[in-house]
This record gives sequence, structure tokens and C-alpha cells, in this order.
Amino acid sequence: MSSGLLLVLVVAAAYLAAHVAFEFLAKRFTIVSGAEYLVLGVLLGPEVSGLIGAGVLDSFGPFMMLAIGWMGAAIGTRLDLAAMLRIRAPFYQVAFLQSALSLAVVAGVMVLLLSYALALPYDAVVVPGLVLGCIAAASSLSGLGVLVRRRLQRRPLVRQLQVASGMDACIAIAAFGLLLCIAHPGPPGDVRPPTPTEWAVISVGIGCLGGALFHLFLAGERNRDRLFISLTGAITLASGAAAYVRLSPLVPALLIGAILVNTTKNRHEITQVIATVQRPLYFILLVFAGAAWQPTTRSSLIPILLFFVVRIVGKLGSARIAARVSGMLPAVGPDWGRGLLGQGSLAVAIALNYWTFDGSLLPNIVFTAALVSVLLTDVLSARFIQAAIRRHDESTGAQLLSDADLPVGRL
Amino acid sequence: MRRSVILLLLLGAMELLRPLGSAGYGAQALLSFGFLILAAHTVGELAHASRVPKIVGYLVAGMIFGPSLLHVIGAEAIDRLEPVSDLAIALIAFLAGAELQWSEVRRRGVTFLKIMTVELAVCFAAIVALLYGMRGFVPFLATASDARVLAFCLLFASVAIVHSPAVTMALLSETRARGPVARTTLGVVLLTDVAVVLLFSGMLAIARAIAPPDDGGAALSLGMVIWEIGGALLVGVVLGAVVTGYLRFVGQELTFVAIIIALLGAEVASLLHVETLLTLITAGFVAENASRDGRGEALRHAMERSAAPIFVVFFAISGANIDLRGVGALVVLALPVVAVRLAAIWGGTRIGTWWAGMPKEEGRHVWMGLVSQAGVAIGLATVAAEAYPVLGEALRTLLLAVMAINQLFGPIFFRRALAASGEVTEEGADPAGRAPEPAPS
Repeated sequence: MSSGLLLVLVVAAAYLAAHVAFEFLAKRFTIVSGAEYLVLGVLLGPEVSGLIGAGVLDSFGPFMMLAIGWMGAAIGTRLDLAAMLRIRAPFYQVAFLQSALSLAVVAGVMVLLLSYALALPYDAVVVPGLVLGCIAAASSLSGLGVLVRRRLQRRPLVRQLQVASGMDACIAIAAFGLLLCIAHPGPPGDVRPPTPTEWAVISVGIGCLGGALFHLFLAGERNRDRLFISLTGAITLASGAAAYVRLSPLVPALLIGAILVNTTKNRHEITQVIATVQRPLYFILLVFAGAAWQPTTRSSLIPILLFFVVRIVGKLGSARIAARVSGMLPAVGPDWGRGLLGQGSLAVAIALNYWTFDGSLLPNIVFTAALVSVLLTDVLSARFIQAAIRRHDESTGAQLLSDADLPVGRL
Repeated sequence: MRRSVILLLLLGAMELLRPLGSAGYGAQALLSFGFLILAAHTVGELAHASRVPKIVGYLVAGMIFGPSLLHVIGAEAIDRLEPVSDLAIALIAFLAGAELQWSEVRRRGVTFLKIMTVELAVCFAAIVALLYGMRGFVPFLATASDARVLAFCLLFASVAIVHSPAVTMALLSETRARGPVARTTLGVVLLTDVAVVLLFSGMLAIARAIAPPDDGGAALSLGMVIWEIGGALLVGVVLGAVVTGYLRFVGQELTFVAIIIALLGAEVASLLHVETLLTLITAGFVAENASRDGRGEALRHAMERSAAPIFVVFFAISGANIDLRGVGALVVLALPVVAVRLAAIWGGTRIGTWWAGMPKEEGRHVWMGLVSQAGVAIGLATVAAEAYPVLGEALRTLLLAVMAINQLFGPIFFRRALAASGEVTEEGADPAGRAPEPAPS
């Protein structure tokens, strides 16, 4: 049987099984679908069965970049300012502190750990450590999606989780984008290498210019098919432009999504179209991420496993500190960070983006650490959130608090 | 106009980035692909505003920005996008099969058959006669023996009579025309697809008998032809049955399933060496007609939704693949072939519709839907090129030039036919008042 045929069959069967079976599992056992595609990718990849060979991986390179960009655009569409302004400032304060702290703590610890475990100087592990920090900051909303159906979304804790997840995504993408600008290998040929600031301007420029132009391009378009074509072109072009100059497609795509959702009249249609494609693209991304995985050396196993532990500790600790500093502990409880332990599409996208980045340091370790974390937390992300809510209910006597009980703050 | 200006600005921005970039992980292909989608969409909308089919706009955009002219999309990027083209062809074929209703085949099958038989016969004879008569003016035929010239003419004519299911489906999808001219054209085009493979195989066998290839050439046995057609029908029925079962017992995620079916059908067909288009046409036909309670229709609508953006990409890539320099070099030879083919299609179809007893008002427009050609013709020309390495390559080059012209003007003819027969208004909506584009769902 040809590898192409087997790939189509397996992906189709997995997708449909996931759709049918996990629909049931999500309702019955609060389990989120996704990580199984990662395992599937590993099994099909060159390291196990070899059905997806290196050539196939290379030929699907553009699709991987497009999927990464699409993730960014999907996150960008969540940045609807009108909706964001309706949420009170303390939620953002807690979310920002939590996110920045977890990134800094995990990055710092991972730099030390990588240096110690691999016997490398600090300057050789700073970039991978920081990328791991960005990956650690990212959290998944998929578990929340399962629980939202259970009418929990009005609770302050759930709102805090939604805000924090969005903030995690923005900070992780911004930090990762900036990092690639700093660690950029430079353009080929005799062109003067732009400075990191110039790369950052180029990265943001692609997003802002693209957002402005595509705003005009899409203006008033409500036909779903034409909108889909235009959006596909826009995101593909922006992702391709960023990948072409070896920057992260996440940053420009996020900006384009944010600009479109805030400036166009057809924001709902745009959000809907992007969301419709996001899920299948995420699954494809997971399959190829799994296939791209390569085993690391034994000495790197310890930092990989420790990353998982450090991230959990970092997330829980920074969430608690952020809530305490902002005076939000009564509203969200000390263990609200549990709801942010799940990882999903963004972590995979960042890891894969780093893995494909020219001149990246320790790409396999970073990639494996991210995949391990996603594998272990994605399925249970809804359960983490459920646990956070349960702990909060136990400690506060359940459901006492609403937005009115929150400390007053300004945006 | 606004979109055209934006497109130019995007082109300028891409040029600014060009010195800073590298092509790793297909980034350049992705960049080109994104631009191609937007360009094709823009030119398609401009064409639509000028009452020209959108697909002509997509083709023109591909030609303008492709390797032949502005070179915004390079040959390497086009190669990387080949899987998208394959997927599009498979999806279009399945959709074409799903458009055919069993009741319609029973009611009008004989009509389709009669029109096709006469049209193909007249067209084939006219092209053979033309090429044989022109032999003194064709450089690669001028010094060839009579037998070789005849072999060339037979092979060329058997490929040149092909129509284009892709263009037909794209136009029907764009205009939502469902009247007798639209249905008859679709029926004849699909039937021709099968007949041409048989005819070509027969002509190849005759050609090999009268003018054996110097190096033996590639063999094509009768068994292979029977398997290619029969196997395609068999595989198509099995695939269609699987789809029917899925629709009955699961029936979810139809858009995703539509794409998977197309990929699966194409892979299986390629693996079993059966005709891909026929496999998927059969699968679509079985799935649509064996399903109950509107399930088949639901799948067809899901496919139509997926097909709309794929048409943009497919025709834009097709346009980019047209070698304008090659067409220009052979235009003097290609134009008479195009003209004679056009006249023969007109004559053959008029006789065919008269024989089939089709109302005169409807019958006089059908020929215009049969002008486009693509897809199968390229595959058959490649087989001919393998069988006759020297003459076959010349045949392929001339055929590509003819196809480029027909591909560009065929959709315009077909749209005019639909408008003239009242099955679609000049603005694009069909007379029943439905929108030309699927409504947001």
C-alpha cells in the first residue's frame, strides 16, 4: 500500500474517530481531542514506520507554515477590542502578571537546567531556554470549550481563565516573534543584515500593512465563499512573507486577525470562517509535528521531563502570585492556575516554528519538550479546569462571587 | 479597482522583501500561492463584472503572474502546488458525477449518446482531414512518411476532441444553471470523457500498426485499456458505496469527508492504474443516487462549498502552467486547428441534437459548452509522447497550444450559451432567482 494512500486513510479514520468518539468522550469523561494526532504523526513519521518520509515532510512544508499562520490569525480574531473593553481591568492585570511570570520563571530555570544537563555555556542555551519559556506560557482553551457547554462561562474564574489564555497566547507569540528577530541568522547574499529592531519592524510591518490592506480588500464582503477565498489568500500571503524572511508567521497573522476583527463590519463572518478551518489545520499540524519529531540524546531526557514539571510549578505559582498581588484571590481562588495547565495548538505551532527556523539551537530538545507537554496535558485540559473550579468552589462555599465582587480597576 | 490597487501594493511589498528571503520549507511557494489566490480572485471578480466567466479571470491571473510573463510565481512554486491541482481535479470529478441523476440518465441517456457520437465523429474526421491537408506546412510532418503522418493525425485528433469536465463544472457551479442546455452539456462532456479514452486507445493501436515507433515505444494493450475503464467503474462503485454507507450511518463533517473522498479516490485510482476521473465520476454518481433522504444532496452541497475556493486555485495554476511563448510559437498552426474544431463541434452537435430530437431552441446552444478542453487531453498527449518520442512530443506541444486557446475562450462560449438559452441571466443569477454564489451557511 502506498504511503500517500495510507496517510489519507489513517488521517481520515483518525479524524472521524476523533470526531465521533471524542464527542462522546468529551461529554462523558471531559476529555479533549487532539493529542492522539501527535501520536499518530510519530507512528507514521520517519522515526517509527517511515510512512511519512522526509521528502513528504518537506513537500508539506508550506502547509505547516500556513497552519502556523492560521493559528496566529485565529488567536488574533479573539482580540476584539469592543468585547475586551467589557471585561474589567483586574482580569487583565492577573492574566498579564501570570503570563509574564510563568514565561520568565520557566525560561530562567530551563536556561540553568539546559546548561547544567548538557554542559553547555549559557549563551548556547539562552535562546532555547527562552523559547521553552514562550511555549510554557502558552495555554489551551480547548478544555474550556468542553466546559463552556456546561454553562460555567459566567463565573469570574472561567472568565479569568479565558482572559489569561488569550493573554498567554499574545505574550507567547510576541516574545517568540521577538526572539526570532534577535536570533535571526541574517539574509542570504550580500544584503546588509538588518538589526533585530529592524527585523521586529519588518515582522510587525507585514502584519500591520497586511491587516490594513486586507481590511480594504475584504471590506463589506459577506459571502462566505468569497470571504473564505480572500482570507485564505491573505493569511497564506502573510504567513509566506514572514516564513520567507525567516520570521515567525504567528506575529503577522495575529496582527492581521486582530486588525480585521476590529475594523471590518463583517467580523463575525471572518471569525467564523477562520475558526472553521482552524480545527482541521490543527490536526494536520499535530500529525506533521509528530512526524517531524526526532529522538533526542539520553542526556537531554532530564531537561525535557523537567520542563514539564517546571512548567506546571511555574504556572501554578505565577497564577497564585498574580492573583494575590492583584487582590483577586477571593474571586478566582489560589489554585486557578490549574485551569491553564493544558497545552495545545499554540505550543505545537511555536515548537514547530522553532524547529524549522534556520540556525536554531537545540531544536530537537525544545520540540520534544513541547510535544511531551502537549501530549500529557491536552487530553486532560478540561479536567484541569474542572479541578480548578472544584477547588475554588470548596474554598469559597461555591458560586458566591460575580463581577460585582471584584476589586475596582481601570483599563 | 480598489482590489487591483491593493494587489499592486502587495506586489510591491513582496518585491521589497525579496532580497531578504530564502526559500526554506516552501516559504517562497507559500508566498506565491497566497498572492496567486488573491490575484486570481481579484481578476475573477473583474471578469465577472465584465460578464466574462470568473474562471477566465483565474486563468488570466495565472498567466499574467505565472512563469511566462511577470514571473511572480515561479516554476518551482507551481510544482509544489501540484497536489492542490490533483485534489481539485478529483473533487471536480466527484462533483460532476454527483450532478448526474439516475432518472436523468434513464430519460436522456440516449440523447447524450447520440449527440456525443455525432459530435465526436465529425470533430475527429475534420481534424484528421485538416492536419493531413496541412502536412506540407507543418515542419515536423513535412518530411515524414505518409504512414507516420496518418498515425500522427489519428492520435492528435483523438486527443483534440476531448472536452473539459472541470470547466463545465466550474461554470455550472458559478452560474447555478440547471436547465436543459446545462444538463445536456454536462451529460455529453462526462460521456465523452469515457469515450475518448477508448477511442484514443484504439487509435494508438492503429497508429502502432501502420507506423511502428522506432524504439518500440510504450506499450498499451487492450487488457490495459479494459482495466483502465472497467477498473475505474468498479473502484468508483465501491468508493461510492462506502460514501453512501458513511452518509447513512455517520453523516457528519461532510466538507472534510468530501476532501478525503477526493484524495482517497485519486490515490486508489493511481495505485490500481485506473482512470482517475472516471473513478471519481462513478463514485460521485453512485453516492448521489444510492443515498436516500437528501443525504447525497447534502454531500454535494458540502462539496460545492469546498470546490469554490479550489476552482480559484486550480484554474489559476492552470493559467500559470500555460507556456505563452510556446503558444506564441505555434499559434499559426494552432489557430486553424482551433477554428476547424470549433466548426466541427458546431456542425456535429447540431446534427446530433437534431438526431436526438432535442428542441431546436435548446439544441442550438449545446455546442458552445463543448469548446473547452483540458485535463484528460494532457494525460493522453503524454501517453502519445511516450509511444512516439519524437512525433509524440511535437503532438503534445501543438496540443497544449490548442488547449490554451480553447481553455481561455471555451468558458466564455459556454456562459454565452447559458445566457442565450435563458438558463442564466447576464448578471449571473439563474432565472429562478437564486444567487450565483452559494449563500452563507
